[in-house]
Amino acid sequence: MTLVFLEGVDDELSRQAVTLAESLGGDVRAVTVDGPFAPAAWAAAIVDAAGGDDIVGPGSDRGNEVLAHVAAQLDLPFAANVSEVRGDQLTRIRWGGTLLEEARLHADRKVLTAAPFAFVASVDSTQAQVLAPNLDGAVAVVDHIAPDTGGKVSLADAKVVVSGGRGVGSAEGFAILEDLAALLDAAVGCSRVVTSAGWRPHSDQVGQTGTKVSPDLYIACGISGATQHIAGCKGAKALLAINADREATIFAHADYAVIGDLHEIVPAIAAELRKVKGS
Amino acid sequence: MRILVCVKRVPITGGRMVLTADAQAIETKHLGFTISPHEECGVEEAVRIVESAGGEVVVLTLGPEEAAEQIRDCMAIGADRGIHLVSSEEWDAQATAGAIADAIRGEEPFDLIVFGNESADAGGYQVGIRVAYALGLPVVTGLKGLTVDGGRARCEQEVPGGRDVYDVALPAVVTVKEGLNLPRYPSVPAKLRAKSKPLDARPAERPASRLEKLRLVVPEGSRKQAEILGEGPGAAPRVVEVMQQLGVA
Amino acid sequence: MFLTRLVRAARPLKRTDDVFRRVENEATIVLGQRKLFQRLVPGAMHALIFWGFLVLFPTILMAGIGAIDRDWSFPWLGRQGWYMAMVDVFIVAVLVGIAAAVWIRKVVRPRRFDGSHLGEADLILFMIALVVLTLLGWHAARIAAGLNEWPAHWSFLSNAVSHLVGSGASARERILVWAHVGVILTFLCYLPYSKHLHIATAAINVYFSRTRRPGRLEPLRFDVPEAELRFGAGTIRDLTWKEMVDSFSCTECGRCQDVCPAYATGKSLSPKLVIMGIRDQVFAEGPNLLAGGELTPIAGNGVPEDMIWDCVTCGACVHECPVSIEHIDHIVDLRRDLVMVQSSFPAEAESMLRDVERVGNPWGKPQGDRESWAEGLGVRVVAEGEPAPEILYWVGCAAAYDERARVAAESTVKLLQKAGVDFAILGARESCTGDPARRMGNEYVFQAYAEQNVATLNETGVTKIVASCPHCLNSLGNEYPDFGGRYEVVHHTQLLAELLRDGKLEPAKSETEITYHDSCYLARHNDVAAEPRELVAAVGKPVEMEKHGKNTFCCGAGGAHMWMEERGSPINEERVRQAAETGAETLAVACPFCTVMLDDGVRASGKQLRVVDVSTLLLEGVSDT
Repeated sequence: MTLVFLEGVDDELSRQAVTLAESLGGDVRAVTVDGPFAPAAWAAAIVDAAGGDDIVGPGSDRGNEVLAHVAAQLDLPFAANVSEVRGDQLTRIRWGGTLLEEARLHADRKVLTAAPFAFVASVDSTQAQVLAPNLDGAVAVVDHIAPDTGGKVSLADAKVVVSGGRGVGSAEGFAILEDLAALLDAAVGCSRVVTSAGWRPHSDQVGQTGTKVSPDLYIACGISGATQHIAGCKGAKALLAINADREATIFAHADYAVIGDLHEIVPAIAAELRKVKGS
Repeated sequence: MRILVCVKRVPITGGRMVLTADAQAIETKHLGFTISPHEECGVEEAVRIVESAGGEVVVLTLGPEEAAEQIRDCMAIGADRGIHLVSSEEWDAQATAGAIADAIRGEEPFDLIVFGNESADAGGYQVGIRVAYALGLPVVTGLKGLTVDGGRARCEQEVPGGRDVYDVALPAVVTVKEGLNLPRYPSVPAKLRAKSKPLDARPAERPASRLEKLRLVVPEGSRKQAEILGEGPGAAPRVVEVMQQLGVA
Repeated sequence: MFLTRLVRAARPLKRTDDVFRRVENEATIVLGQRKLFQRLVPGAMHALIFWGFLVLFPTILMAGIGAIDRDWSFPWLGRQGWYMAMVDVFIVAVLVGIAAAVWIRKVVRPRRFDGSHLGEADLILFMIALVVLTLLGWHAARIAAGLNEWPAHWSFLSNAVSHLVGSGASARERILVWAHVGVILTFLCYLPYSKHLHIATAAINVYFSRTRRPGRLEPLRFDVPEAELRFGAGTIRDLTWKEMVDSFSCTECGRCQDVCPAYATGKSLSPKLVIMGIRDQVFAEGPNLLAGGELTPIAGNGVPEDMIWDCVTCGACVHECPVSIEHIDHIVDLRRDLVMVQSSFPAEAESMLRDVERVGNPWGKPQGDRESWAEGLGVRVVAEGEPAPEILYWVGCAAAYDERARVAAESTVKLLQKAGVDFAILGARESCTGDPARRMGNEYVFQAYAEQNVATLNETGVTKIVASCPHCLNSLGNEYPDFGGRYEVVHHTQLLAELLRDGKLEPAKSETEITYHDSCYLARHNDVAAEPRELVAAVGKPVEMEKHGKNTFCCGAGGAHMWMEERGSPINEERVRQAAETGAETLAVACPFCTVMLDDGVRASGKQLRVVDVSTLLLEGVSDT
């Protein structure tokens, strides 16, 4: 028997976690938790509800956090971001997904989270029991700050991301990327080199330690393809790389490639889009 | 304020994953090493807090002998003292947390214990949380904002759609994320001074692993054959075609 | 004296070696006015006044003592007609020089004087004129009063003027000698407070300047007790004595400003203003320094920070300076303090510094990838424990990681293979020489890499190195000896030229017009200009840009500018413009940075120029046969 913690019944990563739970065999029941977020209290409620079952959750930040609490409370090993389970052996991701670890679990109960996009979301409509945690004296969220995006598309939600790296050359160089992004209703992202240089804020950074994106199309302009960055855009359904260096590592992770100077290519794509849209 | 920051020595992998012949580790022969960007922000934050409120910043790591290099780097940022639990083996997250909790119990109590949200390599997402349980302390994770005042910490956790705010009493454990601050570039006088700051190194015995690493694997399909749409601006029409096929244009 | 106390309080520097060449420099640069003659008319103008000063020097003593003792005459010399004839000739020469100077300053008004104290210069010229005119008057009066110890007819001019003295010659003789002495004494009092101070310091400054290896920066020592640690120049207390004397020697002539590529493209940097700024701060805070008081930072006060970062370390200023001021030392020392102590530097360079420090190259790409460019070319990689080749090809980071710079390395190895040279590369064991870190001011990171590379090279037993990158060439050849690395280091154009001369490579010659761009680190910092030209002449028709050889104009990448943003109009586009003016369609280079910068410049300006390394041109030439 497996208990799946859902962040929300329609949450994509949570529904992928259901698939992981189903792969363990046996019955699966789902729970969500009501009320303000309080990680330890939510975990306690899940532990209560689970009885002696295996516990699975989504490999989102919140999912990993809650399940880590669960594992600590039960003194069980916790395998985060699992991509496959075979009996007591499992495969989990390292380095944001650019490396895999095969491991053996030495415990009689599993506490796992599903690596994002390692599983296809379960199509069954999920009935979930709603748990009510005990919030007495619990560490809980007391307030919420909404971001000031100025109406821009958020990086995490965008269907298309136009991203720039060292090759863009300067803060002003991003103007052509922003222009293209506007035409595609896309968000503008960047690599770590760019945030270190101060050309874009950290909130634009896509990467293992930045925002992890999963757009339909990720356009990497002048990005060399360090694993730090790849880890952030692996979730993209398609990756188009534009780089002057045909040996750049990014091409090994790309579905589509254009070789050349992004300062010429990006405006050309924008112009072509205008032409196509205008007609 | 007494603050402990835990860090981990990780290789700078560049663009490709190359494993050792026995597939037990990444081949690090020509790689440089660092601590995760999350942890660097953690050290920077701890140093800033102590610079304004007074106190001590201690850096702790569990790692091979060479990890002393990372402790010295943290001292160059401003940490005052280092604790090095020396082990050349790879430890799983649960065992790591246990050793760290033991080491902390042997110290004067800390007001704040800081971890990176997850380590750059293993990405277990749990060491900070487990240490908090072992020490009976509250824990808040994934912080992009932290303000410490009057024995309490106001914590901002990044979530989709903004930030969630917590208010916890110290002592507490926090895990932080890159973006919390912009770490300083250490000065050379600081690097030189770091060489002589106290570093307590002691051997650590690894217990049996409950999540036992068997081998590492470079994922299939991480080497794609990209379809070249063209060279130079002349590729634009073909690019737009693909965009239309994908349904984004 | 205040100035000597300042110099003695300054930081130490060893410049006592190579005495022969130092004396040679005194002879050619000071006596011979060699650097002044790099500009003909102003050079001649100054030479006349300077040589005049030398010839007239004994007359100062004659006047000084003669003012007190009317009948005293300089032993032997005072009675030589030929000497007094020379005096007259040089009085005229000085006056001609002053006239020329006035013409240059008032009529021509060159831009190099922007920022200089023109009023002060006018006063000095006036006083010099007064000195020689009162001298002439005194000699004339002495002749008229019959007091001349020398045969009057020799000193033709004084003789002629003596007829104008009129009655009361004795009295007038006394008046004039005292006038002469008075002007000189006034001038002497004014000297330390004006740029004319250079007459006391210039000869000293020239003596103690670098005699060889112009591209070598002075290392800092980090293994000394805390009180002796020096991290570059934060306040005037940190300046070396040579830097102090540099600042005292500046005549505000502005030749350095004229040739500075940053200044020429609208940036705030003027090497002249940097030195003047340091000088002014030394004078202003000098008493405080000697009293052990508080000092303010030079960066942001005497020298604006913008100026410090605009510099590309091309060395045009140093090459041009007639009194051998070494501007690059000042700027790098200022950067050292900003980078290593204040951690204050352009943000975009931080990644580069971190990458050099942590990963081993400024591109931040894995060291393991250093051999990928050579895959399939059959190049031997010297693994650990294997013997050294006859000559080690030091590839450099640019060729390993940049697709445009790679081409020259590929061409070079193919040529070396064709010529049967026994060479190999270090592959992943090669690390950045540290040049960009050092030029940015991070001496600490540079030394870590110098030591590491020297250990690798020495362990492998390398004795001869060929490098494609002039920056690598400079560090390996000129700077690594300070860290125990002594190798014979040549540039790839030098090796290829040798092979050409030996007949090992026989290229076909074409009619293509090729203009060759001298890399600053090659032509100026390392005196290599002839060999690349041999290669160009062997494959095409060379056509020179106006600014070539040691007068070359930078591509803009030096001083770590390859990784920093540029304000104002780009230096590389200006150089491309200069190249296009020659009418040639091929722009030959011999440096990976120049390759990338000038190629960027061609793309940005839309000119029809093919930017290509001389090695590639040579390869194309031999492949056709």
